[in-house]
Amino acid sequence: MAFERRLLSYAKSMESTSSGSDELRKLAREVASYKVELDQTRKYLHSVLQNSTDMIFMTEVTGLVVSFSKGAENSLGYTMEEVIGRPVRDLAQDPDAFEALMEQCQKDGNASCAGVIFRHKDGRPVDCHVCLMELINRKNNRVGTIGVCQDVTHWKKLQEDLVQIDRLAEMGRMASGVAHEINNPLAIISEASGWAEEIVSDTEGLKPEDRQELLDTVQKINAQTKRCRNITHKLLDFVRDSAPSKVELDVHALLRETVELLRSELKHTSVEVEFDFPETPLSVVSDPRLLEQVLVNLITNAIHAVSENRETGGYVKLTTACVDSKIEIRIEDNGGGIPKAIESDVFSLFYTTKPPGKGTGLGLSICQNIINNLGGTIGFDSREGQGTTFIVVLPAV
Amino acid sequence: MSEKSTIRVLLVDDEETLIEYLSKRLLRQGLTVKAAFSGEEALEAAKETNFDVAVVDLKMPGMDGVETQRKLKEIQPFIQCIVLTGHGSIDSALESGQEDAFNYLLKPVDHDKLVGAIKEAYNKKVDIQDKKFKEQVEELYASGLGAHGIRKAIAELRKIYGID
Repeated sequence: MAFERRLLSYAKSMESTSSGSDELRKLAREVASYKVELDQTRKYLHSVLQNSTDMIFMTEVTGLVVSFSKGAENSLGYTMEEVIGRPVRDLAQDPDAFEALMEQCQKDGNASCAGVIFRHKDGRPVDCHVCLMELINRKNNRVGTIGVCQDVTHWKKLQEDLVQIDRLAEMGRMASGVAHEINNPLAIISEASGWAEEIVSDTEGLKPEDRQELLDTVQKINAQTKRCRNITHKLLDFVRDSAPSKVELDVHALLRETVELLRSELKHTSVEVEFDFPETPLSVVSDPRLLEQVLVNLITNAIHAVSENRETGGYVKLTTACVDSKIEIRIEDNGGGIPKAIESDVFSLFYTTKPPGKGTGLGLSICQNIINNLGGTIGFDSREGQGTTFIVVLPAV
Repeated sequence: MSEKSTIRVLLVDDEETLIEYLSKRLLRQGLTVKAAFSGEEALEAAKETNFDVAVVDLKMPGMDGVETQRKLKEIQPFIQCIVLTGHGSIDSALESGQEDAFNYLLKPVDHDKLVGAIKEAYNKKVDIQDKKFKEQVEELYASGLGAHGIRKAIAELRKIYGID
């Protein structure tokens, strides 16, 4: 500003003196306006740097950081002061590969790479899309390198989740295809053995012990066929998606059946499942398959929460009640509980605390979706270190 | 209709072995059974004989179960169809507006359950048919035809309704 003022006052003094210095006056005005322009450009660049969520940094010729944007601070967890003067390559998970990218940039004037991994201050990887460009001065000398990097960690995660969902859907299609193919021969086995049973029962001239032996055998075939049928039918039930049906069902029986389904899950744990039901049966008009899906999910979560946190004394307690003509199902566990900080994320799509490949982050959001479709609500009450209770409320009719 | 008349069942499935055992067992239980190995065959059979209930497989080469049962109903309006499927697409079949089947069952069906369903379907068929028959007979009486004309018309109706 001081420079500007000086120029302007000089230009004024020139005006008052003689006419021969017109040129000089004009020049002074021009310089002053350039100065304003320059200021505006600087302000503009500064606000871009400060407000962009991208990481923008600049290095000098040897690759030491000289500028580090707000976005970079947010993405990597370092403050500008912490990184200034340090080699930029040290921010990358693979410094040599990053160095190579920098060299390529020096050679070609620019370079980009879609999969550069930086390391956050807390150690976690930050997946970035990186563009580098050389900063050249008027004399055509390098003065440094500018890097603009986009944090694509979240996007990558979404992409992986989508692949996972795709895989699940594909598995579902395959399972239903296999179940279908098996159902036909199964139907034949079932009818043929049923026929054999009828014949063996009625045929004359068989020794009684032979008849019994044959009957036992045929009945075993019948029983095993039924077992196979249960499996294929359950599988088809599970992958079928359609509008919810409305069937009057016994809530207590449904809960007990669901726990039966999960016996194999429980076998390897010391978790006890307790039922605390009122004596009068509770019935609800709803879709048994969808409800079962939700309950399987909630009870499995409860079992995992307990078995991950307790060697002994772990329990999952199922309670029911009828409140204001609504059916309330509570699934209580004494597992690790849900930390306050993540309570708001529990029902979010793709949110999971499980390691990659273990959880899809879909379970609870699907549960919420289903329960909402059935006209109910789902919520939870949790204390970290003490356990969680999920509460499903359904309209009775 | 006399109480003694047996249920006339038309079985339609491309799985010949299944049909073989299914018909043997149903025959043994006193039902009258006709087997058809395709939708087309079933329609031919329906043009010649009257049936009470058709048990139709959903997925068959050529004419599928949904189309078969629709066409069967065109030939014999009172026939009740039970659609068997090996696929979990019962709901989707219902949703696509093919609700005119009496029942959809998932293969393999428990034999007693199937027989139960056939009997229910038969009862429904008889009910609907009797009701319609009575309505038409009443209309006949109300129409002012002479005794001879009425008898002749009723004989005609019996033929249409497959009541022999």
